[in-house]
Amino acid sequence: MYKKGNYRETDKMSDLICENYPMLLVMSRFGIALGFGEKSIGEVCRQNNVDSCTFLNVVNFLSDDHSTTIPKVSTCLSLESLITYLHNSHDYFLKFRLPHIRAKLLEAISNSTDDVTFVIRRFFDEYAEEVNKHMLYEEKTVFPYVRSLLSGEKNKKYNISIFMKRHDQIELKITELKNILIKYYPGATNNMLNSVLFDIFSTEEDLASHNRIEDSLFIPAILELEKTLS
Amino acid sequence: MPNINLKIIIAEPSAIIRGGLELQLKRMVGFRCQIVEVSGFDSLPESLRINRPDVLIVNPDMIGGVALATLKEESGSHSMKCIALVYSLFEHVRMRAYDEQINIYDSVDEIRHKLERLNTEELVRTEEAEEQQMLSTREKEIVVCVVKGMTNREIAESLFLSTHTVITHRRNIARKLQIHSASGLTIYAIVNKLVELSDIKVEKDG
Repeated sequence: MYKKGNYRETDKMSDLICENYPMLLVMSRFGIALGFGEKSIGEVCRQNNVDSCTFLNVVNFLSDDHSTTIPKVSTCLSLESLITYLHNSHDYFLKFRLPHIRAKLLEAISNSTDDVTFVIRRFFDEYAEEVNKHMLYEEKTVFPYVRSLLSGEKNKKYNISIFMKRHDQIELKITELKNILIKYYPGATNNMLNSVLFDIFSTEEDLASHNRIEDSLFIPAILELEKTLS
Repeated sequence: MPNINLKIIIAEPSAIIRGGLELQLKRMVGFRCQIVEVSGFDSLPESLRINRPDVLIVNPDMIGGVALATLKEESGSHSMKCIALVYSLFEHVRMRAYDEQINIYDSVDEIRHKLERLNTEELVRTEEAEEQQMLSTREKEIVVCVVKGMTNREIAESLFLSTHTVITHRRNIARKLQIHSASGLTIYAIVNKLVELSDIKVEKDG
């Protein structure tokens, strides 16, 4: 079981990662590589030019239990740094995770009949396209908007509540694929398929926490910023 | 038996007891508990309003003389069940207002039985739902139409139904199978041999 929340700058980076291995992804999305030896979280962040407050906010938000109330926006949170993190997450999902799952999934079901592989592949491709659209909107519309806010420009046409309204849960459809495979996949037991299912389970969680960071850290911070400018 | 979803607020001043109970509830087979912790009486009314829980597990000492009815009022849900979390003996009169009691020395099985007893209605409902999880012949026909890419209106015309009925059927299908997209239904239809790939492809080309 993972340890719960409240890591500080002085804690060791290696402890954080070992106690809470999904943080490996967080770390690399902030641009921090492995091989940091015995250094503390603060030291590692400074060496990699990562804003340690933002890093800790994300880490503590994710390692804390889902059920507790939404944290207050920390004043030291750097939106620029958070955007870098979100952008790298998008890259990870679109350029690595989903293509990787696709390839593995196709291999796992390659012994099925043509019609089964066809419909599963089609389902997956439609899903990947949806995720792509969802993330592209953030890259093309939301991030530039926030950057312009950060440089002090007000924008009369756009505000973050537009994003809040259309921001949907992108993990729902991959949950559906997982359920369909578990309940209805015909064919013999299959190690590769189990391995894909493990990947899908973890990606499902990863996408959900990605969305939670956007909803509970990113959006509230932008709302604060909008207030200071208006 | 399908899982029962419960939203539970644990109102208890001790972090150790709260955390312990939360862990036991989350591990409990047969339930999917979403838990919110409340550590003091001050934040309880607001938490009830925001979360609208199915069950409130509360240390009677924490709410003092406040009547449970007031708390139910606050949560806006009169069907909310109240369970007293007790460490020691309380006067019988004070306990009467509660739907159930959990003692900190209860075993996990005892807690589970108590929760099941409180949620028997829910249980009956989910069992009924489970019985009906197989699709009816009519529903299967509709799945086939959806998979072929027909609109609700086209389906209605070909099966001599009203579009309203078709929509109701589609909603039931989605609920039974937990599949909400047309491409998901296609996988279901192909694997269960309700359609052939050629049926779909023809539709796509045409």
